[in-house]
Amino acid sequence: MKHRMVVLVALVLAYGAVPLLLGSMDYVMSLIIAALTIGGVALAWALLGNLGGLVSFGHAAFFGVGAYTSAILVVDHHWPVLLAMVAGGVGAAVASVATMPALRLRGPYFALAILAYGHIFRILAVEATSLTGGAAGMLSIPGFPTLLGINLASKTGAYALILTIVLLFAWLYGLIRRSTYGLALRAMHDSELATRVVGVPSTHLKAAMLVISAFMTGVVGAFNAHQINFLDPEYAFASSWTVLPIAAAIFGGYRTVWGPVLGALVVFLVDQLVFKELMPSGHQLVFGVLLGGMVILGPHGLLPLLGRWSKKEASHAGA
Amino acid sequence: MLELILQALYSGLLAGGYYAMIALGLALVFGTMRIINLAHGELVLLAAYVAFEMERSFGWTPLASIPVALVVVGLTALVIYLLIGRIRQDRELNSLILTFGIAIVLTNLILMIWSADIRSTSNSWFMDGVVLGDTLFSMRGEVIFCVIGVLLLAATYWWLNHTWQGRALRAVASNRDAAKLMGVNPARIEALSFLVSGVLATFAGVAVYTASVVFPAVGHNLTIKAFVITVLAGMGSVPGVLLGAVLIGVGETLTTTLAKPSLQELTGMVIFLLILFLRPSGLFGRKGMVKK
Repeated sequence: MKHRMVVLVALVLAYGAVPLLLGSMDYVMSLIIAALTIGGVALAWALLGNLGGLVSFGHAAFFGVGAYTSAILVVDHHWPVLLAMVAGGVGAAVASVATMPALRLRGPYFALAILAYGHIFRILAVEATSLTGGAAGMLSIPGFPTLLGINLASKTGAYALILTIVLLFAWLYGLIRRSTYGLALRAMHDSELATRVVGVPSTHLKAAMLVISAFMTGVVGAFNAHQINFLDPEYAFASSWTVLPIAAAIFGGYRTVWGPVLGALVVFLVDQLVFKELMPSGHQLVFGVLLGGMVILGPHGLLPLLGRWSKKEASHAGA
Repeated sequence: MLELILQALYSGLLAGGYYAMIALGLALVFGTMRIINLAHGELVLLAAYVAFEMERSFGWTPLASIPVALVVVGLTALVIYLLIGRIRQDRELNSLILTFGIAIVLTNLILMIWSADIRSTSNSWFMDGVVLGDTLFSMRGEVIFCVIGVLLLAATYWWLNHTWQGRALRAVASNRDAAKLMGVNPARIEALSFLVSGVLATFAGVAVYTASVVFPAVGHNLTIKAFVITVLAGMGSVPGVLLGAVLIGVGETLTTTLAKPSLQELTGMVIFLLILFLRPSGLFGRKGMVKK
């Protein structure tokens, strides 16, 4: 009951208070939208890491494929934007099927094979000039429509849209985690061999997580394309679409559902508002320090760390 | 056309010399510690920028800056080693994230100190043309560092096979616990592998600076390239590393000549994926990277 109240209050704050208080500040709203975009990818990355047990260095590939799929469908085939975004997710999911042979590789090899795929997709996007416009990119990609009287192309509208996308994904993530599949996936963590012995098709489950993670990343990529109305391969497949979500997920705690999203908000906003001001070039250094620091000091991320603290506080209060 | 292809083969062969140095460093650390050091390319890059700084500030030739670069890169490699030692759980994957983070830090430090400009040696002696048999062209720097690369590789090969420490390193790589029982201190050997990897990275970095160009993003590409070569070679084979490096070098130059330069990067990646899927133990390796 108490839990429900917290969720309700958070929803009211997220949908109501944030646009009301900050809606007039365009710059802050763009930052929050960008942070949620990264949060969406971070959530997808963490789903693969937590449930699938796979570390990916190539989520930029799914992001870029999603963005291009959606943009091409809207520009060349005049699909409605929101439908094309879903198709962008499907495109990324299809792309992830191409990476599936990598699933039989052990941990680090998988991570690096996916990295290789990321590069291949970027080069393909540059070379497929007739489809993607090549290195010059695609200009004036249509933005979001007006839905139920809300202009999604406005800052507040785009915020509501990405917030909804991230919330839906988090809900889906939670659903998978609580299902029997989630149980099997968690069991795989402890011992993949033992899990296979009792009849769990571990590779199939991992493949499913990869597809879902790619789909989510693709939708977020598509959202980004229609929000900034521009795409080029260097941007759509930029390594920062991999680096930032990993930093966010590791910082927030990739074993939790909300950690990556909160991590993205904190990491991105602090980076943009503080570190970018302090050091205009090379401020990504902070992400590196953050990744290293978290791995050494708190491998489970901030959210579980906070949870432990609050529990300690509570037990102190009780005593 | 034939001349062009021969020239491409020759250039690729020369590039293979320093690719091999980079890849062997990565492979050594991977062999002893089961860790892929994603910051390895940045170590190479660091050496290149030390050479650049020495040349800019004091007018040193790149060869003279090698001792300075050795100290800088060696210390950095040791710091990475010590940081990895602090990982408490799930070392295989956490070390990947940690070294990924270190790579980001190093790239951005280099960006902050030396800016994003493209740098290369201004020493014309290294850039003089060396013509082989009237048709094959190269720069003196390329030839020198290819020779240095092969010599260093040979030296490392000898060291691994004929010295106590080299043998200890191989022992730790093949069975850590058994090596311990034989009186080898694995921690010391691991640190040593990092140092040797740093030495190789230093020479490679000065080579890249002299025979090619550097900018901050190069480090990432070098790491990937080194990893591709390691996979190609299979773990724990020095001749395999050399052959893999030449293969990648030649593959790249041939792509540039026969197709177009923008596809160069794709060659390495495609070879990499083909090897991973068709022959996961590498061309010469014994140990698999596929789950058993």
